[in-house]
Amino acid sequence: MKYLVAFVGAFFAAVLAASVAPYVKVLGVTPDPVLIFAACWAMIRGQWEAMVVVPMAGLLRDLTTSDPVGTSVLALSPIVLLAVLRDLRPVESDFLPALAVVAVASLAYAVISMTVLTAVGDDVPWGTGLLWVAFPSMLVNALFAAIVYLPMRWLSPRPRAEGFGVGSAVQL
Amino acid sequence: MRLLWWTLAVVSVSLLSIALSESRTLYPVQNLSLTVAAPLENGLRELADPIADFFEGLFNRGDLKRENERLRQELERLQSQVAAAEDAQRRAQELEEALGVKESRPHDEFVVADVIAQDPSGVKRALAIDRGSKDGLDEGMVVLSKSGSLVGTVSRVYEDFAWLRLITDPNSAVNVVVLAEGDEEGSEARGVAAGDLGGRLSLEMVPAEAQITDGDLVTTSGLGGNYPRALFLGSVRSVEDKPQALFKKATVEPAVDLSSLDTVMVITNFLPARLAGP
Repeated sequence: MKYLVAFVGAFFAAVLAASVAPYVKVLGVTPDPVLIFAACWAMIRGQWEAMVVVPMAGLLRDLTTSDPVGTSVLALSPIVLLAVLRDLRPVESDFLPALAVVAVASLAYAVISMTVLTAVGDDVPWGTGLLWVAFPSMLVNALFAAIVYLPMRWLSPRPRAEGFGVGSAVQL
Repeated sequence: MRLLWWTLAVVSVSLLSIALSESRTLYPVQNLSLTVAAPLENGLRELADPIADFFEGLFNRGDLKRENERLRQELERLQSQVAAAEDAQRRAQELEEALGVKESRPHDEFVVADVIAQDPSGVKRALAIDRGSKDGLDEGMVVLSKSGSLVGTVSRVYEDFAWLRLITDPNSAVNVVVLAEGDEEGSEARGVAAGDLGGRLSLEMVPAEAQITDGDLVTTSGLGGNYPRALFLGSVRSVEDKPQALFKKATVEPAVDLSSLDTVMVITNFLPARLAGP
Protein backbone atom coordinates (compact mmCIF):
# COMPACT_ATOMS: atom_id res chain seq x y z
CA MET A 1 0.00 0.00 0.00
CA LYS A 2 2.77 2.48 0.92
CA TYR A 3 4.45 1.94 -2.44
CA LEU A 4 1.16 2.53 -4.23
CA VAL A 5 0.84 5.84 -2.36
CA ALA A 6 4.45 6.62 -3.29
CA PHE A 7 3.73 5.79 -6.94
CA VAL A 8 0.70 8.08 -7.06
CA GLY A 9 2.64 10.86 -5.30
CA ALA A 10 5.64 10.51 -7.61
CA PHE A 11 3.43 10.42 -10.69
CA PHE A 12 1.64 13.57 -9.60
CA ALA A 13 4.99 15.24 -8.88
CA ALA A 14 6.28 14.24 -12.35
CA VAL A 15 3.17 15.68 -14.00
CA LEU A 16 3.51 18.87 -11.94
CA ALA A 17 7.15 19.13 -13.00
CA ALA A 18 6.22 19.13 -16.70
CA SER A 19 3.12 21.30 -16.46
CA VAL A 20 3.04 23.88 -13.66
CA ALA A 21 6.60 23.95 -12.30
CA PRO A 22 8.15 25.64 -15.38
CA TYR A 23 5.89 28.65 -14.69
CA VAL A 24 7.23 28.98 -11.15
CA LYS A 25 10.55 30.75 -11.52
CA VAL A 26 12.50 31.70 -8.43
CA LEU A 27 16.09 32.96 -8.84
CA GLY A 28 15.78 31.96 -12.49
CA VAL A 29 15.18 28.25 -11.81
CA THR A 30 12.11 26.10 -11.33
CA PRO A 31 11.60 23.86 -8.32
CA ASP A 32 11.81 20.11 -8.94
CA PRO A 33 8.74 18.47 -7.38
CA VAL A 34 10.03 14.93 -8.06
CA LEU A 35 13.35 15.51 -6.35
CA ILE A 36 11.66 17.20 -3.40
CA PHE A 37 9.12 14.37 -3.10
CA ALA A 38 11.78 11.64 -3.28
CA ALA A 39 14.13 13.36 -0.83
CA CYS A 40 11.37 14.09 1.67
CA TRP A 41 10.12 10.49 1.45
CA ALA A 42 13.64 9.18 2.03
CA MET A 43 14.15 11.40 5.08
CA ILE A 44 10.77 10.60 6.59
CA ARG A 45 10.47 6.89 5.81
CA GLY A 46 14.11 5.84 5.75
CA GLN A 47 16.71 4.39 3.45
CA TRP A 48 15.01 1.01 2.96
CA GLU A 49 11.86 2.49 1.43
CA ALA A 50 13.92 5.07 -0.45
CA MET A 51 15.62 2.22 -2.30
CA VAL A 52 12.28 1.53 -3.99
CA VAL A 53 10.69 4.99 -4.11
CA VAL A 54 13.66 6.95 -5.46
CA PRO A 55 14.20 4.85 -8.63
CA MET A 56 10.42 4.73 -9.15
CA ALA A 57 10.19 8.54 -8.95
CA GLY A 58 13.18 8.87 -11.26
CA LEU A 59 11.63 6.57 -13.83
CA LEU A 60 8.33 8.48 -13.77
CA ARG A 61 10.21 11.76 -14.22
CA ASP A 62 12.18 10.32 -17.13
CA LEU A 63 9.02 9.17 -18.86
CA THR A 64 7.51 12.67 -18.82
CA THR A 65 10.58 14.66 -19.94
CA SER A 66 12.79 14.74 -23.01
CA ASP A 67 15.80 13.31 -21.17
CA PRO A 68 16.95 9.77 -22.02
CA VAL A 69 15.17 7.23 -19.80
CA GLY A 70 17.46 6.39 -16.89
CA THR A 71 18.88 9.90 -16.47
CA SER A 72 16.71 10.86 -13.52
CA VAL A 73 16.95 7.38 -11.97
CA LEU A 74 20.71 7.81 -11.93
CA ALA A 75 20.64 11.48 -10.94
CA LEU A 76 18.24 10.94 -8.02
CA SER A 77 20.07 7.90 -6.64
CA PRO A 78 22.38 9.93 -4.33
CA ILE A 79 19.26 10.65 -2.26
CA VAL A 80 19.35 7.05 -1.01
CA LEU A 81 22.95 7.44 0.10
CA LEU A 82 22.19 10.81 1.69
CA ALA A 83 19.24 9.33 3.59
CA VAL A 84 21.76 7.82 6.00
CA LEU A 85 21.66 11.25 7.69
CA ARG A 86 18.22 10.34 9.01
CA ASP A 87 19.69 7.55 11.12
CA LEU A 88 22.89 9.37 12.04
CA ARG A 89 20.87 12.27 13.50
CA PRO A 90 23.67 14.89 13.41
CA VAL A 91 21.32 17.42 15.06
CA GLU A 92 18.21 17.04 17.20
CA SER A 93 15.91 18.32 14.48
CA ASP A 94 14.65 16.09 11.62
CA PHE A 95 13.76 19.11 9.57
CA LEU A 96 17.17 20.70 8.98
CA PRO A 97 18.89 17.48 7.79
CA ALA A 98 15.98 17.01 5.35
CA LEU A 99 16.57 20.47 3.87
CA ALA A 100 20.30 19.79 3.68
CA VAL A 101 19.64 16.50 1.87
CA VAL A 102 17.37 18.27 -0.64
CA ALA A 103 20.04 20.92 -1.28
CA VAL A 104 22.88 18.42 -1.76
CA ALA A 105 20.66 16.12 -3.85
CA SER A 106 19.80 19.08 -6.10
CA LEU A 107 23.47 19.75 -6.77
CA ALA A 108 24.12 16.03 -7.36
CA TYR A 109 21.11 15.84 -9.68
CA ALA A 110 22.31 18.78 -11.79
CA VAL A 111 25.87 17.45 -12.05
CA ILE A 112 24.81 13.88 -12.94
CA SER A 113 22.16 14.94 -15.47
CA MET A 114 24.58 17.36 -17.15
CA THR A 115 27.15 14.54 -17.29
CA VAL A 116 24.64 12.21 -18.95
CA LEU A 117 23.56 14.90 -21.45
CA THR A 118 27.21 15.59 -22.28
CA ALA A 119 27.81 11.85 -22.73
CA VAL A 120 24.91 11.50 -25.20
CA GLY A 121 26.24 14.36 -27.30
CA ASP A 122 24.39 17.45 -26.06
CA ASP A 123 26.34 20.67 -25.78
CA VAL A 124 26.04 21.47 -22.07
CA PRO A 125 27.52 24.77 -20.88
CA TRP A 126 29.02 23.52 -17.62
CA GLY A 127 30.14 26.83 -16.19
CA THR A 128 26.85 28.64 -16.59
CA GLY A 129 24.97 25.41 -15.85
CA LEU A 130 26.51 25.18 -12.42
CA LEU A 131 26.25 28.90 -11.76
CA TRP A 132 22.74 29.57 -13.06
CA VAL A 133 21.05 26.21 -12.55
CA ALA A 134 22.78 23.93 -10.06
CA PHE A 135 23.57 26.36 -7.23
CA PRO A 136 20.29 28.32 -7.33
CA SER A 137 18.32 25.04 -7.48
CA MET A 138 19.92 23.98 -4.17
CA LEU A 139 18.31 26.97 -2.49
CA VAL A 140 15.02 26.90 -4.39
CA ASN A 141 14.39 23.18 -3.89
CA ALA A 142 15.25 23.48 -0.19
CA LEU A 143 12.81 26.39 0.07
CA PHE A 144 9.98 24.37 -1.47
CA ALA A 145 10.97 21.27 0.50
CA ALA A 146 10.32 23.27 3.65
CA ILE A 147 6.71 23.58 2.51
CA VAL A 148 6.36 19.92 1.51
CA TYR A 149 8.27 18.20 4.30
CA LEU A 150 6.11 19.08 7.31
CA PRO A 151 2.72 18.05 5.84
CA MET A 152 4.31 14.89 4.46
CA ARG A 153 5.79 14.05 7.84
CA TRP A 154 2.49 14.75 9.55
CA LEU A 155 0.63 12.47 7.12
CA SER A 156 3.17 9.69 7.36
CA PRO A 157 2.46 6.99 9.96
CA ARG A 158 5.04 6.90 12.73
CA PRO A 159 7.56 4.10 12.34
CA ARG A 160 7.39 1.47 15.05
CA ALA A 161 9.74 2.00 17.94
CA GLU A 162 12.66 -0.38 17.97
CA GLY A 163 14.34 -1.68 21.12
CA PHE A 164 13.74 -0.25 24.56
CA GLY A 165 12.77 3.33 25.06
CA VAL A 166 9.84 5.58 25.64
CA GLY A 167 8.08 4.43 22.47
CA SER A 168 8.34 0.75 23.36
CA ALA A 169 7.16 1.37 26.89
CA VAL A 170 4.05 3.09 25.58
CA GLN A 171 3.39 0.14 23.27
CA LEU A 172 3.61 -2.28 26.15
CA MET B 1 26.69 -4.42 1.56
CA ARG B 2 22.99 -4.13 0.70
CA LEU B 3 23.54 -0.49 -0.29
CA LEU B 4 26.48 -1.41 -2.47
CA TRP B 5 24.44 -3.98 -4.40
CA TRP B 6 21.58 -1.54 -4.75
CA THR B 7 23.93 1.16 -6.11
CA LEU B 8 25.49 -1.24 -8.61
CA ALA B 9 22.07 -2.40 -9.77
CA VAL B 10 20.67 1.12 -10.17
CA VAL B 11 23.74 2.41 -12.01
CA SER B 12 23.76 -0.62 -14.36
CA VAL B 13 20.04 -0.45 -15.14
CA SER B 14 20.19 3.34 -15.61
CA LEU B 15 23.11 3.17 -18.03
CA LEU B 16 21.42 0.37 -19.96
CA SER B 17 18.18 2.39 -20.14
CA ILE B 18 20.04 5.47 -21.36
CA ALA B 19 21.69 3.40 -24.10
CA LEU B 20 18.33 1.86 -25.10
CA SER B 21 16.65 5.25 -25.03
CA GLU B 22 19.30 6.76 -27.28
CA SER B 23 18.79 3.92 -29.76
CA ARG B 24 15.04 4.75 -29.74
CA THR B 25 14.12 1.31 -28.33
CA LEU B 26 12.22 2.92 -25.45
CA TYR B 27 10.32 5.45 -27.57
CA PRO B 28 7.06 3.39 -27.47
CA VAL B 29 7.21 3.38 -23.65
CA GLN B 30 7.78 7.16 -23.57
CA ASN B 31 4.93 7.61 -26.05
CA LEU B 32 2.64 5.55 -23.81
CA SER B 33 3.60 7.51 -20.71
CA LEU B 34 2.89 10.83 -22.44
CA THR B 35 -0.47 9.44 -23.58
CA VAL B 36 -1.36 8.79 -19.93
CA ALA B 37 0.09 12.03 -18.57
CA ALA B 38 -0.98 14.44 -21.33
CA PRO B 39 -4.62 15.02 -20.25
CA LEU B 40 -3.53 15.71 -16.67
CA GLU B 41 -0.67 17.95 -17.80
CA ASN B 42 -3.03 19.86 -20.07
CA GLY B 43 -5.43 20.42 -17.21
CA LEU B 44 -2.68 21.58 -14.89
CA ARG B 45 -1.23 23.93 -17.51
CA GLU B 46 -4.56 25.75 -17.44
CA LEU B 47 -3.85 26.49 -13.77
CA ALA B 48 -0.31 27.62 -14.46
CA ASP B 49 -1.06 31.27 -15.23
CA PRO B 50 -2.54 32.10 -11.82
CA ILE B 51 0.32 30.24 -10.15
CA ALA B 52 2.90 32.13 -12.21
CA ASP B 53 1.17 35.40 -11.30
CA PHE B 54 1.28 34.43 -7.65
CA PHE B 55 5.01 33.77 -7.66
CA GLU B 56 5.71 36.91 -9.66
CA GLY B 57 3.79 38.88 -7.08
CA LEU B 58 5.49 37.13 -4.19
CA PHE B 59 9.03 37.68 -5.36
CA ASN B 60 8.80 40.85 -7.44
CA ARG B 61 6.16 43.07 -5.87
CA GLY B 62 6.20 42.20 -2.20
CA ASP B 63 3.12 41.37 -0.18
CA LEU B 64 -0.31 41.12 -1.76
CA LYS B 65 -3.22 42.82 -0.11
CA ARG B 66 -6.12 40.77 1.18
CA GLU B 67 -8.66 42.80 -0.73
CA ASN B 68 -6.72 42.29 -3.92
CA GLU B 69 -6.77 38.55 -3.28
CA ARG B 70 -10.54 38.54 -2.69
CA LEU B 71 -11.09 40.42 -5.94
CA ARG B 72 -8.80 38.04 -7.76
CA GLN B 73 -10.76 35.05 -6.46
CA GLU B 74 -13.99 36.71 -7.49
CA LEU B 75 -12.54 37.37 -10.91
CA GLU B 76 -11.35 33.77 -11.19
CA ARG B 77 -14.82 32.53 -10.21
CA LEU B 78 -16.38 34.69 -12.92
CA GLN B 79 -13.72 33.67 -15.40
CA SER B 80 -14.35 30.01 -14.75
CA GLN B 81 -18.00 30.53 -15.71
CA VAL B 82 -17.05 31.75 -19.16
CA ALA B 83 -13.91 29.61 -19.54
CA ALA B 84 -15.46 27.10 -21.91
CA ALA B 85 -16.79 29.79 -24.22
CA GLU B 86 -13.51 31.74 -24.16
CA ASP B 87 -11.49 28.61 -24.85
CA ALA B 88 -13.55 27.80 -27.91
CA GLN B 89 -13.22 31.39 -29.15
CA ARG B 90 -9.46 31.39 -28.58
CA ARG B 91 -9.09 28.09 -30.41
CA ALA B 92 -11.01 29.49 -33.39
CA GLN B 93 -8.80 32.60 -33.38
CA GLU B 94 -5.62 30.49 -33.26
CA LEU B 95 -6.78 28.45 -36.21
CA GLU B 96 -7.60 31.66 -38.09
CA GLU B 97 -4.09 32.97 -37.41
CA ALA B 98 -2.60 29.65 -38.48
CA LEU B 99 -4.60 29.91 -41.67
CA GLY B 100 -3.16 33.40 -42.21
CA VAL B 101 0.40 32.06 -41.92
CA LYS B 102 -0.45 29.25 -44.29
CA GLU B 103 -1.66 31.79 -46.85
CA SER B 104 1.57 33.79 -46.47
CA ARG B 105 3.67 30.66 -47.08
CA PRO B 106 1.68 28.85 -49.78
CA HIS B 107 4.37 26.32 -50.61
CA ASP B 108 4.76 25.04 -47.07
CA GLU B 109 2.69 22.27 -45.53
CA PHE B 110 1.86 22.62 -41.86
CA VAL B 111 0.71 20.43 -39.01
CA VAL B 112 -0.89 22.42 -36.19
CA ALA B 113 -0.12 21.06 -32.71
CA ASP B 114 -0.96 21.95 -29.13
CA VAL B 115 1.76 22.27 -26.50
CA ILE B 116 1.16 19.76 -23.69
CA ALA B 117 4.26 20.04 -21.50
CA GLN B 118 7.54 21.82 -20.92
CA ASP B 119 10.78 20.10 -20.07
CA PRO B 120 11.41 20.86 -16.38
CA SER B 121 15.17 20.44 -16.71
CA GLY B 122 17.10 23.64 -16.08
CA VAL B 123 19.64 22.85 -18.78
CA LYS B 124 17.19 22.52 -21.67
CA ARG B 125 14.47 24.58 -23.31
CA ALA B 126 12.04 22.04 -24.78
CA LEU B 127 8.29 21.63 -25.27
CA ALA B 128 6.16 18.53 -25.86
CA ILE B 129 3.43 18.68 -28.51
CA ASP B 130 0.49 16.39 -29.21
CA ARG B 131 1.59 15.35 -32.72
CA GLY B 132 4.05 12.65 -33.67
CA SER B 133 5.31 10.41 -36.44
CA LYS B 134 1.71 9.31 -37.15
CA ASP B 135 1.02 12.89 -38.23
CA GLY B 136 4.07 13.02 -40.50
CA LEU B 137 6.50 14.66 -38.08
CA ASP B 138 10.19 13.89 -38.25
CA GLU B 139 13.27 14.99 -36.37
CA GLY B 140 14.73 18.29 -37.56
CA MET B 141 11.46 19.71 -38.88
CA VAL B 142 11.06 23.43 -38.32
CA VAL B 143 8.43 24.74 -35.92
CA LEU B 144 6.72 28.13 -36.11
CA SER B 145 4.43 30.00 -33.77
CA LYS B 146 0.84 30.56 -34.83
CA SER B 147 1.88 34.03 -36.01
CA GLY B 148 4.66 32.59 -38.18
CA SER B 149 7.86 33.34 -36.26
CA LEU B 150 10.49 30.69 -35.63
CA VAL B 151 10.04 28.65 -32.44
CA GLY B 152 12.54 25.81 -32.86
CA THR B 153 12.91 22.35 -34.34
CA VAL B 154 11.55 18.89 -33.64
CA SER B 155 14.17 17.03 -31.58
CA ARG B 156 12.47 13.73 -30.65
CA VAL B 157 9.51 12.07 -32.31
CA TYR B 158 7.31 9.39 -30.77
CA GLU B 159 4.27 7.90 -32.46
CA ASP B 160 1.72 10.38 -31.05
CA PHE B 161 3.92 13.06 -29.47
CA ALA B 162 7.10 14.99 -30.14
CA TRP B 163 9.59 17.15 -28.25
CA LEU B 164 10.66 20.50 -29.68
CA ARG B 165 14.00 22.17 -29.06
CA LEU B 166 13.35 25.90 -28.71
CA ILE B 167 15.62 28.49 -30.31
CA THR B 168 16.56 29.57 -26.76
CA ASP B 169 17.95 26.10 -25.92
CA PRO B 170 21.74 26.08 -25.35
CA ASN B 171 22.04 23.48 -28.13
CA SER B 172 20.25 25.64 -30.68
CA ALA B 173 22.16 27.70 -33.26
CA VAL B 174 20.41 29.35 -36.19
CA ASN B 175 22.13 31.09 -39.09
CA VAL B 176 20.50 34.49 -39.30
CA VAL B 177 20.61 37.77 -41.10
CA VAL B 178 20.05 41.14 -39.42
CA LEU B 179 18.00 43.51 -41.52
CA ALA B 180 19.00 47.07 -40.75
CA GLU B 181 15.90 49.14 -40.06
CA GLY B 182 15.10 51.60 -42.85
CA ASP B 183 18.00 50.48 -45.02
CA GLU B 184 16.37 49.61 -48.31
CA GLU B 185 19.68 48.80 -50.01
CA GLY B 186 19.81 45.76 -47.80
CA SER B 187 23.14 46.00 -45.96
CA GLU B 188 22.53 42.71 -44.25
CA ALA B 189 24.73 41.45 -41.46
CA ARG B 190 24.98 37.71 -41.04
CA GLY B 191 25.44 35.94 -37.74
CA VAL B 192 24.30 33.07 -35.54
CA ALA B 193 21.42 33.23 -33.07
CA ALA B 194 22.20 30.94 -30.16
CA GLY B 195 20.29 30.10 -27.00
CA ASP B 196 21.63 30.06 -23.47
CA LEU B 197 20.66 28.68 -20.07
CA GLY B 198 18.96 31.91 -19.10
CA GLY B 199 16.40 31.36 -21.86
CA ARG B 200 17.79 34.28 -23.81
CA LEU B 201 18.66 34.47 -27.48
CA SER B 202 22.02 35.99 -28.34
CA LEU B 203 23.35 37.09 -31.67
CA GLU B 204 26.94 36.00 -32.23
CA MET B 205 29.56 35.89 -34.97
CA VAL B 206 28.41 39.18 -36.47
CA PRO B 207 31.36 40.83 -38.25
CA ALA B 208 32.74 43.79 -36.30
CA GLU B 209 32.24 46.16 -39.24
CA ALA B 210 28.53 45.33 -39.55
CA GLN B 211 26.13 48.12 -38.66
CA ILE B 212 23.45 46.77 -36.34
CA THR B 213 21.31 48.76 -33.94
CA ASP B 214 18.50 48.18 -31.49
CA GLY B 215 15.25 47.33 -33.23
CA ASP B 216 16.81 45.71 -36.31
CA LEU B 217 14.89 42.65 -37.43
CA VAL B 218 16.47 39.18 -37.33
CA THR B 219 15.42 36.45 -39.78
CA THR B 220 16.83 33.10 -40.84
CA SER B 221 19.42 33.33 -43.61
CA GLY B 222 18.87 29.82 -44.98
CA LEU B 223 22.63 29.17 -44.83
CA GLY B 224 23.45 25.57 -44.01
CA GLY B 225 20.07 24.37 -45.20
CA ASN B 226 18.72 23.61 -41.75
CA TYR B 227 16.03 26.34 -41.83
CA PRO B 228 14.07 27.89 -44.67
CA ARG B 229 14.99 31.50 -45.52
CA ALA B 230 13.25 34.55 -44.12
CA LEU B 231 11.67 33.11 -40.99
CA PHE B 232 11.30 35.86 -38.42
CA LEU B 233 13.06 35.33 -35.05
CA GLY B 234 12.79 38.69 -33.33
CA SER B 235 14.49 42.05 -33.02
CA VAL B 236 17.87 43.22 -31.77
CA ARG B 237 17.73 44.50 -28.18
CA SER B 238 21.21 45.54 -27.11
CA VAL B 239 24.44 45.53 -29.07
CA GLU B 240 27.77 44.82 -27.40
CA ASP B 241 30.45 46.52 -29.45
CA LYS B 242 34.01 46.10 -28.19
CA PRO B 243 36.67 48.03 -30.15
CA GLN B 244 39.20 45.20 -30.47
CA ALA B 245 36.77 42.32 -30.91
CA LEU B 246 36.53 40.44 -34.22
CA PHE B 247 32.80 39.96 -33.83
CA LYS B 248 29.91 41.90 -32.40
CA LYS B 249 27.44 40.41 -29.97
CA ALA B 250 23.84 41.38 -29.34
CA THR B 251 20.76 40.19 -27.54
CA VAL B 252 17.70 39.26 -29.57
CA GLU B 253 14.19 39.66 -28.22
CA PRO B 254 12.21 36.70 -29.59
CA ALA B 255 9.10 37.71 -31.52
CA VAL B 256 6.98 35.35 -29.48
CA ASP B 257 6.94 34.60 -25.75
CA LEU B 258 8.35 31.07 -25.88
CA SER B 259 7.38 30.29 -22.30
CA SER B 260 3.66 30.68 -22.92
CA LEU B 261 3.11 28.98 -26.26
CA ASP B 262 -0.15 27.05 -26.59
CA THR B 263 -0.22 26.24 -30.29
CA VAL B 264 2.58 25.75 -32.81
CA MET B 265 2.87 24.81 -36.46
CA VAL B 266 5.34 22.28 -37.83
CA ILE B 267 6.50 22.66 -41.43
CA THR B 268 6.32 19.09 -42.71
CA ASN B 269 7.64 19.53 -46.25
CA PHE B 270 11.00 20.97 -45.21
CA LEU B 271 13.74 18.70 -43.93
CA PRO B 272 17.08 20.11 -42.82
CA ALA B 273 19.98 19.48 -45.17
CA ARG B 274 21.77 17.26 -42.65
CA LEU B 275 18.78 14.85 -42.57
CA ALA B 276 17.39 15.18 -46.09
CA GLY B 277 20.18 13.06 -47.58
CA PRO B 278 21.76 13.39 -51.02
